[in-house]
Amino acid sequence: MILIQRFVLGLIMAGALVAPAHARLQVFACEPEWAWLVTELLPSAQVFTATHARQDPHYVEARPGLIAAMRRADLAVCTGASLEAGWLPMLQQRSGNRRVQPGATGLFMAADHVTLRHDHDHVHIDRTLGDVHPEGDPHFQLDPGRLAVVAAALAQRLMVLQPEEALSIQRRSLQWQANWARHQARWRVAAAQLQGLAVVTQHSSFDYLLYWLGVEKRADLEPKPGLPPTASHLRDLLVQLQRTPAQGILVASYQNERPAVWLSQQTGLPYAVVPATVDERSGHGDMVGLIDYLIATLAGFRTLPE
Amino acid sequence: MKSLRLLPLSIALSAAAALPAYADPMNPSISLILDGYYKSGTTALSERESGFGLGHTELTLSAPVDDMFFGQLTAVLDNHHGHTEIEIEEAFIQTLRLPYGLSLKAGRFLSQVGYLNSRHMHDDDFVERPAAYRAMLGSHYFDDGVQLNLVLPTAFYWQIGVELFNGSQLTGGHSHEDVGVFTLNTRLGADLGESHSWQLGLSYLHKDGHDHDHDHDHDHDHDHVHAAQYTGEHLYIADLVWKWSPAGNTRQQQLVLSGEFLYATDPIENARSGDYHRGWYGSAVYRFHPQWQVGARYGQADLKDAHGDHFHGDQRIRETDLMVSWQHSHFSTLRLQYTHQDTVGFNHDDQVVTLQYVMSLGAHGAHAY
Repeated sequence: MILIQRFVLGLIMAGALVAPAHARLQVFACEPEWAWLVTELLPSAQVFTATHARQDPHYVEARPGLIAAMRRADLAVCTGASLEAGWLPMLQQRSGNRRVQPGATGLFMAADHVTLRHDHDHVHIDRTLGDVHPEGDPHFQLDPGRLAVVAAALAQRLMVLQPEEALSIQRRSLQWQANWARHQARWRVAAAQLQGLAVVTQHSSFDYLLYWLGVEKRADLEPKPGLPPTASHLRDLLVQLQRTPAQGILVASYQNERPAVWLSQQTGLPYAVVPATVDERSGHGDMVGLIDYLIATLAGFRTLPE
Repeated sequence: MKSLRLLPLSIALSAAAALPAYADPMNPSISLILDGYYKSGTTALSERESGFGLGHTELTLSAPVDDMFFGQLTAVLDNHHGHTEIEIEEAFIQTLRLPYGLSLKAGRFLSQVGYLNSRHMHDDDFVERPAAYRAMLGSHYFDDGVQLNLVLPTAFYWQIGVELFNGSQLTGGHSHEDVGVFTLNTRLGADLGESHSWQLGLSYLHKDGHDHDHDHDHDHDHDHVHAAQYTGEHLYIADLVWKWSPAGNTRQQQLVLSGEFLYATDPIENARSGDYHRGWYGSAVYRFHPQWQVGARYGQADLKDAHGDHFHGDQRIRETDLMVSWQHSHFSTLRLQYTHQDTVGFNHDDQVVTLQYVMSLGAHGAHAY
């Protein structure tokens, strides 16, 4: 009997060596904003970020390196709403990792926790409208309100996956929400000074933030969602902007800046190429700092002589 | 502190409410590919006849069956000499819940040997598969069987797979075994910095039985071909893909270099060591604008014209393709391709120009690397 007990004890100890109880949670973040959020809530997590601010998140390839990272993940945090439709399903399928398959606790889709805006007024949608997502516009990564909702849901999920860290995640989550509310109040004050501002952007990369701030999106450099700007569309914009002027042009780091530059030269409007998500490399690794920076950029459009 | 004691319960409750809902669980995703072309002449071992024609009209339905299985059907509509055939190219289920990075596929599916073979043809950058593929795999080899894959938890990508097929699609029904074909395959790959990525694949395909009453008149009475005509007992494939995009932003700019080498031994019973089929290709495709791609491909196939237990001689294809393609949106492609062929043992034109459209309607599935 004692021998059996020892054997069982030995097995348990061996198991403990192989899989330590407090293993760091391996997280696969589809976009940098979710990597940032996971780190805010669970600093001990080992986070792999699949994309960065200088990549178009629609057109990422299911590269071998990403499959390998997905294979190791305990949790995948992605936007959803078809933003990653061109690559995420392939990563899930090729990784053979059951923890991150559809319906598993290890797959967290941020869009499942918020209501999305629809960037079109049509009841019936089809692809003549461009590459529209029937679920709604998935580019809500800069929306202060929706980010808070996602952060709360993500904290819950992290607590399920790391029960031994639940208390500290809970504490961090409450702290985070309180801080975030303070920043939101600050941004509301700043937004008051942006009232009446209208800008031109490319794609819906900044729509949620602009809407939150009360800044009008006057025009889009893309003729239709997902289609690159064309010369004829830019000429139309030129005419449109003479009738209804805007104060600046905002494009994301991953977009080709040439159409914005051309329109800027033709109209004399200032343009800015800014990251549409947190970007360590350009010094905007923190979302609070990034939103501050974007608000300052927009405020700059107002103060610049037209 | 009292409220904290209730925490585990509250966590469990909210977690149940927060599980993601999968989009449209009751309706499979439907995807339709429309492929049409005009071809100025004939090419060797081609599935596409000259003149106006339809290519791969493909209808795909797929969805998770439940939380354990995924299912997919790919039906291809072919039109030959006024007859419409419906061909089941894929009808498989795949597991979603096996441990240790394992996944099992069963049914009919594209074999994962080589680089191009497991990809759907509408993803290709050229109108047709390389000559070596057309000759030795029938453009794409699919069959009925099972596939087991293992992805190792390594820092780089390392996949090992084995497939068992009944072999009827490759042996022309000549195999008397239940398992007429089996394959072994491994893939390695990784990123190099944020701009480069690569993948290397090695595959082996074993075929049981030899093609005794090989169609003597292939290429003579009609000029399109389906099945692999140049097979051997042992097929070895090595493939390498290298991709480059500045900062990994593939939408704006991307260069894709790929190449494969195929080598099939023992094409007939009692073959000698010099009796083999061999082919390779190298391809470069460059996207210089979100809507524009140019590409060049060169390929060779050195084949033996096997008939029963003897050869009728050597056959050879040297093929150069140049293409330019334009994508209005992610869902529509127009392609112009110039093909030059230099061959021995085939009847066809030296120079062929093809204009092709490939359109994707409905769900647009994720692409493989």
